[in-house]
Amino acid sequence: MSAFVTILKKELKAVTRERTIVIAIIIQLFIASFSSAILVGLMSLYDPEAIGLSARIRLRVGIVGDRSDPLVDLLRQNQVQVVPFETLEEASEAFSEGRIEAALLIPQSDTGSGRGLRHVSLFLPESEALYTLILMVLRDPLKQYESYLREQNGIHLKFADIEGRPSTLHEFRYGVILPLLMFFPAFITGSMVIDSLSEELANHTLDTLWSAPVSLHVIVGAKIAAPVLLAGGQCVLWATLLYVNGILIRNLVLVLLMATLNAAIIGVTSVFIVLYFKDRERSQFTYSLFILLSTSLGYAFDVSPVTVITRLATGDYYTGISDVAVYGLVLLGLLAGLFSLNKKLLSRVA
Amino acid sequence: MPFPYLYTILLIARQEVTRIRTRFRGRASPVAMVLLLVGILLLLLTFRRGVVQGKGLYRIAVSPDGPLIQDERFEVTTVPSSVRYALLDAGAVDLYVDDDRVVHYGAERSLYAAGALKTYLEKQELARAGQSYGPERAFPLRVGVQRFPIEQARQEEEVLIPSLMAPPLPFAQVVAVSLHLFPVFFVNVFFTGGFMHEKMDRRITVLLSAPVTPFQVIAGKMVPYILLALVSVVCVAALLKGNVLMALLIFTPVVLFTFSVYLMVPLVYRTFKDTTFISMLATTIITSYLVFPAMFSGINDLSYVSPLTLAVKMYRGQPFGLKEYLTSTTPMYIIFALAMYAGSRMLNEEYLMRFRPLYRKAADAIYLLISRRHLNISIFVLSLLLVPIVYMVQLVAMVVSLNLPIRYAVGTLLIVAVVVEEVAKSAGIVVLIEQRVVRSTKSILLVVPGRTGLSSGGERAAIHLRQHRLRDHALGGTFWCRHVVAATCSAHCFHVGSVPADSQVGRSQLSPCSADRLGPARSL
Repeated sequence: MSAFVTILKKELKAVTRERTIVIAIIIQLFIASFSSAILVGLMSLYDPEAIGLSARIRLRVGIVGDRSDPLVDLLRQNQVQVVPFETLEEASEAFSEGRIEAALLIPQSDTGSGRGLRHVSLFLPESEALYTLILMVLRDPLKQYESYLREQNGIHLKFADIEGRPSTLHEFRYGVILPLLMFFPAFITGSMVIDSLSEELANHTLDTLWSAPVSLHVIVGAKIAAPVLLAGGQCVLWATLLYVNGILIRNLVLVLLMATLNAAIIGVTSVFIVLYFKDRERSQFTYSLFILLSTSLGYAFDVSPVTVITRLATGDYYTGISDVAVYGLVLLGLLAGLFSLNKKLLSRVA
Repeated sequence: MPFPYLYTILLIARQEVTRIRTRFRGRASPVAMVLLLVGILLLLLTFRRGVVQGKGLYRIAVSPDGPLIQDERFEVTTVPSSVRYALLDAGAVDLYVDDDRVVHYGAERSLYAAGALKTYLEKQELARAGQSYGPERAFPLRVGVQRFPIEQARQEEEVLIPSLMAPPLPFAQVVAVSLHLFPVFFVNVFFTGGFMHEKMDRRITVLLSAPVTPFQVIAGKMVPYILLALVSVVCVAALLKGNVLMALLIFTPVVLFTFSVYLMVPLVYRTFKDTTFISMLATTIITSYLVFPAMFSGINDLSYVSPLTLAVKMYRGQPFGLKEYLTSTTPMYIIFALAMYAGSRMLNEEYLMRFRPLYRKAADAIYLLISRRHLNISIFVLSLLLVPIVYMVQLVAMVVSLNLPIRYAVGTLLIVAVVVEEVAKSAGIVVLIEQRVVRSTKSILLVVPGRTGLSSGGERAAIHLRQHRLRDHALGGTFWCRHVVAATCSAHCFHVGSVPADSQVGRSQLSPCSADRLGPARSL
């Protein structure tokens, strides 16, 4: 056991000794923190309702024309401040003075029968960002107005009154950001294992180490354990970052365990690859292909680790320790295979 | 041979190709080929199916007469209505859906599921209404969107149907365009790995003892990989049905830029482990630099920081001009030129094999870049060449600071701008002093005019470019135009007292945009 710990410490020291590696991890954390903030902000624009949730926007819209139109009430119900004007020129002047952000020209309704098209004109700032933002804020009341007109036309849409929350941000957080952050360290784990073992093989130091009273299982085990520990540590960092950003992870321990197991599975697989090819260049190439393949395969099946992590983090009723245990069994199987084969594979090097 | 210099480069390139082919001959070849083919096949299938975010995220119970739900976000089970409350109460399903009703159980998860289902069913219902009643009855509202000022706007009107309004951001296109990057990174990893191998077993040192220049060695080793990366760009563009020539025009500087970053990794680092970590970091940074600005395509002119914005426009069938092309790509071409020059100077055994901390390696590299015979010109050129890097770093800082509260953003940007510019300007002189090339105050003063090359010319260009970007883009028209430009100008004036004219440039360009755009933005 002490030999295992010694090699493990040596491996970890090799990583932490090079300060740029530590800096690299910190910079990645920094980028991820801002990236998630940027992307969450961006996703708001896909989901207009989310704008209202994530930011308090007080929009003032000038109304020219029919002030008794139902659209005016719908605007008010959506927290839009309505400012009446007699003419478009007055509204334009108010816009120039910064008293309103947009203007709506609502012609007198001539659709007493409730049929036909209704035209309104919307005036927005020239600035693209303000244009987009205001349009997204006004989309909801305009859609409600369209539904009203549709009902007037005698068309009823089912499921229009479902109460719910805008889901885009929720899906993006748990379906994209969280799995991405939890699996990124695992990809590095595989690369590190290949680097570590291929370096030993290239320098023939593995033979020397093997000749010491240390079993091959211990050497390989420690070489896998070091980057897996680092990956686990990184996952804890990401989880903290998400917590600070207000993203709650349910079943946190299981999520972290799942991410670490995934890193270990990738680590063990990369040992197979490096022991087969014996050099870094070919091993890294095959490893990259393996990652590409396994990610695509994982996406194709519902049992992929991404789905398990997403479901665990959102507190899915049917997902729990048994799903994580499946990956634990896969790891045990791979380890058993590795320990029964590694001597054979390494003897070819000797 | 009419071009012996070029011939040598091609010869080294051929040798590199042979080396890779030898490396992947034998048993590596079939394994790699099978993995590659299956990987590409699966990736294609995934791409055709479309990427779903949050696959299987929600569980829904549907009554036998309920609607058909075909969305991979929902795990759908058909259950009789008698068990619906038991399932909902236990939290075993997020929603229960029958013929015309959706029931949730009030928890956060259930409400998000309801929101997602609402969007999905709304689309289905709109499609049904459109087919059954015709477009005019099903979509009875037309919103004519015009821009202020009203007199001009009357001439052109964009007509929108609220329920069919598409999200403004090009998320899907950015994801598609990003597909061009993955093979490029993949190829880069091989370039870095191969270079590192040759460096470790000193084959590069042997090569340098032959009558070849370091530039020829680097170019020769790089050419096959660059060509491979460009082939991948062509393949992806053809796959996505884009304009192949245009894609090449857009992605060539991107490829060169990534190669210039990855070239530095094996030159500076000594172990494979470091190389792996730093390559990962380089990938993260380059991806962030290229992808995030492109997300703002069509919304904010700052998005032209990244050539991916041009690619998004290309795939959307929207035009862009030479100005936009040069804004996105010029810094990348210049950085490639700088990297090639720096690489040529750094490619010597002493530098390659020396173990030193990163900042010492950077200092050594700068020292190698400076010609001891022409210090003044060297410092001037170095300062000038650093302008695109300073520009890129400051633009990134600006984009990042958008996420901070305003009062912190301005201060942070000010500090970052000052630090980045001062480090860039002083690096050469500090190295010269450290190496005792310049000792007396007089000799330092003789070098300083070269340093002010950045101040008077480069900084002016950097400020002009920053302001140009800010003046036109929308957020620049609001808060940024006043505060951030003022911040960068103050940063500049604060440290470059010798060039007050620059601050005048800053002020004179501030007024037009702040006057016409700040007003409406304040209330938002």
